[in-house]
Amino acid sequence: MKTQSQIHATGGKGERVPAEVPPNQAAGSLGSDESYRLLVLTLRDYAILMLNPEGLVATWNPGAERFKGYRADEIIGKHFSIFYPAEALARDLPRIELEGATKLGVHEDVGWRVRKDGSQFWASVTISALRSDEGVLIGFSKVTKDLTLQRAAEARIKRQSDEILELATPVMQVWKGVVMAPLIGSLDSARTQQFMERLLNRVVETNSSVALVDIMGVPTIDTKTAQHLIESITAVRLLGAQVVLTGVRPGIAQTLVHLGINLADILTRSSLAGGLQVALNILKLEVVAKTRGLKE
Amino acid sequence: MTLRLNEDFPVNEEGDIVMARRLVREFALQRGFGSTDITRIVTAASELIRNIYVYAGKGFMRVSFNEEVVRVGITLTFSDQGPGIPDIAKAMEPGYSTGRSMGMGLSGSKRLMDELTIRSEVGKGTTVIIVKWLSK
Amino acid sequence: MTRDNISVIRLKDILLVTVPPEPDDETVSAFQEKVLDVMASNEPRGLVLDISTVQTLDSFFARTLMETVQMAALMGTPTVIAGMRPDVAITATLLGLSFGRTLTARNMDSAFDLIIEKAAEDLSI
Repeated sequence: MKTQSQIHATGGKGERVPAEVPPNQAAGSLGSDESYRLLVLTLRDYAILMLNPEGLVATWNPGAERFKGYRADEIIGKHFSIFYPAEALARDLPRIELEGATKLGVHEDVGWRVRKDGSQFWASVTISALRSDEGVLIGFSKVTKDLTLQRAAEARIKRQSDEILELATPVMQVWKGVVMAPLIGSLDSARTQQFMERLLNRVVETNSSVALVDIMGVPTIDTKTAQHLIESITAVRLLGAQVVLTGVRPGIAQTLVHLGINLADILTRSSLAGGLQVALNILKLEVVAKTRGLKE
Repeated sequence: MTLRLNEDFPVNEEGDIVMARRLVREFALQRGFGSTDITRIVTAASELIRNIYVYAGKGFMRVSFNEEVVRVGITLTFSDQGPGIPDIAKAMEPGYSTGRSMGMGLSGSKRLMDELTIRSEVGKGTTVIIVKWLSK
Repeated sequence: MTRDNISVIRLKDILLVTVPPEPDDETVSAFQEKVLDVMASNEPRGLVLDISTVQTLDSFFARTLMETVQMAALMGTPTVIAGMRPDVAITATLLGLSFGRTLTARNMDSAFDLIIEKAAEDLSI
C-alpha cells in the first residue's frame, strides 16, 4: 500500500468508516465527515465500500455486510475479486473493471456476484476512481445494489405475459349459434377466470345458443380443474346458452368418475364431431348428405 | 354524494347500500379495472355493506388505493361495532347465514376478491378488509 | 315511486318484466310484490324477467329473484330469466349463487320461444 494513501482499513464491526480521512485531501468529494459517516451507515440497501489502488477492501458498511455476508474484520484487506463468480474471474473482470474506472473515472456493470455463503445475487455495481487533489489515484469507491428481487419480478412478469399469450384460448364461431373453445394445458383459477370471461363475452357477441368446450388438450383433470370447468359451464348457462363438453378421452372419463365428480347435468361427448352433432340438435338443425343421383 | 379516498362512508340505512355500491364502482373504474373486475368488486362490497346493515345496524366503509412496483390495487375496509362473529371459520363456510341472504356473503366475497381479511371480536365489532389487484 | 320503476308489459299472453338496473332493497321487494300482483290478475302463459340492465346481482337480490321464480311456478307460470350480462354471470357463479334449474335465455326472442315450448310441453302431459 502506498504510504500517502489516506484510506485505512479500520476493522471492527463494519460500523466504522475512516474518520481519519481528511475531508479536503483524500476523499474530498465524498465529504468524509460525520454526515458522510451517517449517510453510509443508513444506506442499508447498498453495499458501499472502498478499495485501495490494488483492489483490496479498505472499508465496509452494514449494507455490504447484510447482503454479502462478510463482517468487516473478515473482509478488510482481502482482494475484491472474492465477490465475483468463477465465470467472471475467468474473464478477468475485476481487473478490467478497475482499469476501466481508472481510465474513465467510473465503471458500471450489472451481473452476478457471490455472497460469502456461495449463493449468487444479481447486482448493479458502480466503481469510481478516487483521486487526491494532485490527481494521484488513491483508491476506488464501489457501490453495489442487490437487484435480485427486481430481476425476479421482471422475469415473472415476462413469463406471465408470455404464458398469457401462449395459453390464450381462442373462442371461435363454428356455426351460426355455436361457438367452440379448445382448452389446451392445465386450468388454474387465474386462467379459468380469463377463459370464462372470453367464453361468455363471445357467447353474447355471437348470440350463440351452444358453446362447445373441448378438453382434448387438457393433460389431466383434478378436482380443482373440474370445479373450474363446472363454474364456467354454470356461468354460460346463466346467459341462456348450453355447454357441450367434448374431447372427453377415456383416461379423463376414468379420472372424473374415480374422483367422484358429478357431470351428470352436463352434456358431454368424446369427440368434437359428436359435440357438434349435439349442438345442431339443440339448434334443431340437421346435416343432410347431398344425393348425387347418378352413380350407384 | 362524493367520497374521497381514505375517508369513512357511513352506513346507517338500507339506501346507503346502493350509494356505497355506486361509489365503489366509480373508484374501481378510476383505478383502471375492467368491467368484469368492477362487477366482482362492487358485488363483494354489496355483500359486506349488507352484512354491516343487517348484523350491526351501522358502520362505515373506506376505499383506498394500493401502489406497488408491478401492480396497483384497491382496498375496501368495512367496519362496524356490532355483535362480532363468534366463529369466523364457520362464517367463512359457503351457505352459512344467520340473516336473509343466500349465506354467500363472506365466502363469496373472498372468491370474488384477491384477498380478504377479517378481524372480529364478540361484543366489540367486525372489520373486513378486501383487496383486488391489477397488474400494471 | 319504487313500484313505478318496474315496467310490466304483456305480450302474446306473456308477461315481460324489466328489472331496474341498480335497485335498492325496497325496490327489490316491491318488484316481487308487483310481479305477483300482476300475475294474479292476468294468469299469463309465462313470465320473462329481463335483467339485461342489472349491473350488480348480490345474494339478496338473487334470492328475491329466485323466490319470485318459485312463487310464479306455484301459481302455474313458467319463468325465464333473460339477458344476464357476462360479468354478472361470472360474478354470480363465483359468489356461489344457485339458480338451480331456472330457465335462462340470452334475449327476449329466445325467452319467448322457451316459454312457448315449455307451455306446449306442459299441455302435453
